[in-house]
Amino acid sequence: MAGRFWAIFFMLAAVVTVGFSAIGPEFRWWFPGDGHAHSTLGKKIDDLFYLILIIVTVTYIGTHVVLGYVLWRGAGIQKNDKVWFSHGSHALEVIWTIVPSGILLFIALYQMDVWRNYRVKSYFPPKTEAVAEVTARQFEWRIRYPARGKKLQPRPQPDDIYTVNDIRVPAGQPVAISLRTDDVQHAIFIPELRVKQDAVPGLVIPVWFEVTDTGTYDMVCAELCGWGHYKMKARVVATSEEDFEAWKANAAKEQFYDGLPAAPEAVAAKAGDE
Amino acid sequence: MLRCKLSLPCWLPLMTGLCVLVLTVGCGKNPEAQFAWRDSTLDLLPKAREGVETAVNDAFGTPHDLVAWDKLPVHFGGVQGVVQPPAEGEKLPANQFHVQWDGSPDGVGAGSELLWMTGAIAKSKHPTAVVVKYDDVTKTLELKSKGEAPAAGDRLAVGLGSQLQLGRMVYMKNCNHCHGVAGDGNGPTAQYLNPRPRDYRLGLFKFTSTLSSEKAAREDLDRIITYGIPGTYMPSFLLLGNNDGGKEKAAVVEYVRWLAMRGEMEKRLVDELSGDYSESGLVTEAEKEKKSYADAKSEYDKARKAGNKDAEKPEPAQALSQLKKAAGEELKKFLEEDFPGTINDTSDFIADAWKRADDPASLIVPTVARVTDDAASRERGRLLYMSDKAKCYTCHGAKGRGNGPAIEDFWKKPGSNDTYARRGLHDTWGNPLPPRDLTRGQYRGGRRPIDVFARVYAGIKGTPMPAFGGTVLKDSDIWDIVNYVMSLPFEEQIPSAKPAAAPHMAATEPVGQ
Repeated sequence: MAGRFWAIFFMLAAVVTVGFSAIGPEFRWWFPGDGHAHSTLGKKIDDLFYLILIIVTVTYIGTHVVLGYVLWRGAGIQKNDKVWFSHGSHALEVIWTIVPSGILLFIALYQMDVWRNYRVKSYFPPKTEAVAEVTARQFEWRIRYPARGKKLQPRPQPDDIYTVNDIRVPAGQPVAISLRTDDVQHAIFIPELRVKQDAVPGLVIPVWFEVTDTGTYDMVCAELCGWGHYKMKARVVATSEEDFEAWKANAAKEQFYDGLPAAPEAVAAKAGDE
Repeated sequence: MLRCKLSLPCWLPLMTGLCVLVLTVGCGKNPEAQFAWRDSTLDLLPKAREGVETAVNDAFGTPHDLVAWDKLPVHFGGVQGVVQPPAEGEKLPANQFHVQWDGSPDGVGAGSELLWMTGAIAKSKHPTAVVVKYDDVTKTLELKSKGEAPAAGDRLAVGLGSQLQLGRMVYMKNCNHCHGVAGDGNGPTAQYLNPRPRDYRLGLFKFTSTLSSEKAAREDLDRIITYGIPGTYMPSFLLLGNNDGGKEKAAVVEYVRWLAMRGEMEKRLVDELSGDYSESGLVTEAEKEKKSYADAKSEYDKARKAGNKDAEKPEPAQALSQLKKAAGEELKKFLEEDFPGTINDTSDFIADAWKRADDPASLIVPTVARVTDDAASRERGRLLYMSDKAKCYTCHGAKGRGNGPAIEDFWKKPGSNDTYARRGLHDTWGNPLPPRDLTRGQYRGGRRPIDVFARVYAGIKGTPMPAFGGTVLKDSDIWDIVNYVMSLPFEEQIPSAKPAAAPHMAATEPVGQ
């Protein structure tokens, strides 16, 4: 029975895809890094992702079971069997219009909370401080921090601290960055924190996140911005509050270095940093 | 007639063939990387050109076949050592021996390439060998046997050039597309950039921590690669070779220095020859001779007409071919007698200069710490800025906006009386170079006070920015200027250099302390 063989063959394809998806995370064919979000909002975004994944999986398996049934049945039809038409069934049309619409409406409403929290400034966590201004340019990220104990000002200050391709933030508390661009559109993308935001010429866009675990996270540009787009690799280093302050103090010392042989303790601090 | 219904057996191979064709378009061998020669090299007479190219190739090789010339102060990589005699009573096979290393023999192991530097094998046809095993405890090296045994005291090098090779790999991946294979600043993407990427071949780098007469130190190149140059297309390579302990960055620094040495070697050798032995030079000379002969001839004819019988008949002008022949003979002699010495002197000069750059004595170290950054200091700086001593305002403008009167002048080309076709300043590479707008707070060579100090002290190499340190200005004067210049971006926020603001500014804390 060639027909039955093909019915089984095509169902096998569905089984294989489901199987691969199920074992994928074991083999790191999944989200970058260790597969988990490392920011509070990222965890909520992941929850939404998994919710949608469950809905999609149920739908996928359901439709394939029906499809397999139809193929199987169809392969067994004899030449003289009577044809049966399902086309034009009002009840069926109503069901498969209303059910998916209901699901989509549910997702649309259910995710609003997270989106609002992520994008709408008045719903940012209270006391979210801007720790740095991140300016994208072809082809690097230039970062400006306020001096210790000061707040980030919209315009550069004499005691600001600068880094390039290196964002430092304290972990365990909500922080914001002011995202800008010097030239064309870029996009900041920190996959492990689930942060992605376009940088648009002329706008200063606040982006907040709370890193849950200290560590170093990859950051790239996610908007094709020119021939050197691939060069815009950077890192986000999340440390404890004390380490962050210590780093800042050290960075200030280095930035205001006046060329005289460094005092012994400065050398020691530098050696410790590396 | 071929009849073909569009049935499966017919169009399947057709479509497959078409797909293969489309997918493989553009596949093929990549063009071979080459070090491009200078235009002035290509303009030399064939023999002179051959002389220069041979000299440079002998010393540096090609992108596919690098030469590690130990005369140059480049860390080519690898480790050298001396063969030790076996211990008393010890019996070793011919292909095993003990080595005393000059450095640490990291990376020496099975498969490492060994090169004999001295001894009988070094002079033989095959001075190389492959390491089979290395025991670091007994310091015993075992080679793939070739029948010859080294003698105690023979020098050897293992993995020679490995750092240069790594540098080449990193360079080709990240730098080549702007700076070009030869470091001529003429890679495929260079045409889109303003300012143009650096052409290393003059051996000049703009932003250094060394004195004005010195080359760039390794650390200067490392800083530029790590932090980039804001305001230009040189991006930061902070994460280059991330987590490899700085191996890739150190390697590419060596490779860039090496390319700079190669370029400067070529330029200096060509400059030695191009005066007398270049095609275009001879053409000009022939035209000049022709013209002076024509002038002399008409003078002579006039004199004859006037009845002057004593007038001397001028010698006819030499044709280009005659000039070339004469130059060719002279060149042959020069290449045989003087050129080897020229090559030697030039390479000595370049090697010494680059060696000196990393000498702590070449580093700019202020004799005094930064003068407290207060209103009084900034005011002193402003006065110096506007003074005839420093004349900063002529280029950078009275308000530091980079719009001084000098940008309206026609500047002379260095070493000639011609002026540039465009108004304004130019760098040594001939590119237009607007003076920096100091109010933007963008510091190409770094924003540390010592960086700005070094710019004023030693000038910016290859640009009209002069060196003020040591002669024109005292170190404390330079710090005043630094304080003034670094306050310019904030003039609206902190009324820096205005004397009226001094009373309450005097109490301001020095920045960054």
